[in-house]
Amino acid sequence: MLSTTFAAVLPDRLPWYFAGPALGLLVVGFFMVANQPLGATGAYVETYKTVTRKPEAVTWRMFYFLGIPIGGLVGVLLKEDGIVRRSGYDALRNEMSLGTTALVVLVGAVVMGYGARMAGGCTSGHGICGTAQRSPASWVATCTFMGAAVVTTLVIRVISGGAI
Amino acid sequence: MKSSTAHKVLGLLFGAGFGFVLAAANLHEYDTIHKMLRLEEIDVFLLMGGAIGTSLPLLWWLERRRANTALGGPLRLSQSKPRREHVVGGALFGIGWAVSGTCPAPALVMLVSGAGLAVVTVIGLFIGLNLRDAQVRRNDGSATAADGEHREVIASR
Repeated sequence: MLSTTFAAVLPDRLPWYFAGPALGLLVVGFFMVANQPLGATGAYVETYKTVTRKPEAVTWRMFYFLGIPIGGLVGVLLKEDGIVRRSGYDALRNEMSLGTTALVVLVGAVVMGYGARMAGGCTSGHGICGTAQRSPASWVATCTFMGAAVVTTLVIRVISGGAI
Repeated sequence: MKSSTAHKVLGLLFGAGFGFVLAAANLHEYDTIHKMLRLEEIDVFLLMGGAIGTSLPLLWWLERRRANTALGGPLRLSQSKPRREHVVGGALFGIGWAVSGTCPAPALVMLVSGAGLAVVTVIGLFIGLNLRDAQVRRNDGSATAADGEHREVIASR
């Protein structure tokens, strides 16, 4: 397996009791500088608008959008495994062809994007920033997508005979 | 709507911080999300609880203190009433999340971590978001109130 790493200074997985509060502090920090929540769905939307030169595009959201993979890359390079060339969906690839896996992932992502835009947020927007603002709409959306995701995973598990 | 340089730099920095934590906590891996949704591992639920448990009381306290933000005036939190779209959209989001094993921000980290099929995930997300936008435009409606997303009032400053 082709793997690129820079320095293995991070653990394989930062424990939740560090990562969770760190995310929380980032959310509070951004409220305290820009008075804005850090939702990823809006970042996708405004990035698309900025790239397609829509006049109403909120351009700083594109910089936020670009920051996520940049910071992610730094994090990945500081782990022992580093960048690993793979499908990313090995659990699905073990059961299906590459073409079928790609199609399943595509349909899942389209439904996810559509739903996120309809709900007005995703795991970061509603799930952390909205709930932290004590927004009833965000709590409802978060409980709904958590429940739907757990039920869907169970259905997939039953259909695949426990393989996925 | 043009954003100030400060907003752009801060957006980039906070995005990088966010992406870094997602990568460090392995949230960009299908298996991490899948184990959580199969209820085999409680870590991601605790992580989200830790994030909310840190930010909710802090924001509440800052709101009560009528804190001033550096670039956006007095701190303003938004609290929308639940509508049908939050439930239907949330359910669809949850279904897609379970199938694709990642959500919008971790998908970007997944991509740079070397996962080839994450290209499909990110493209699919853009398609889905645009399908909804196109539908809203056709119906001449307005997008759903989003307490976790960008707020126009402050952006125009």
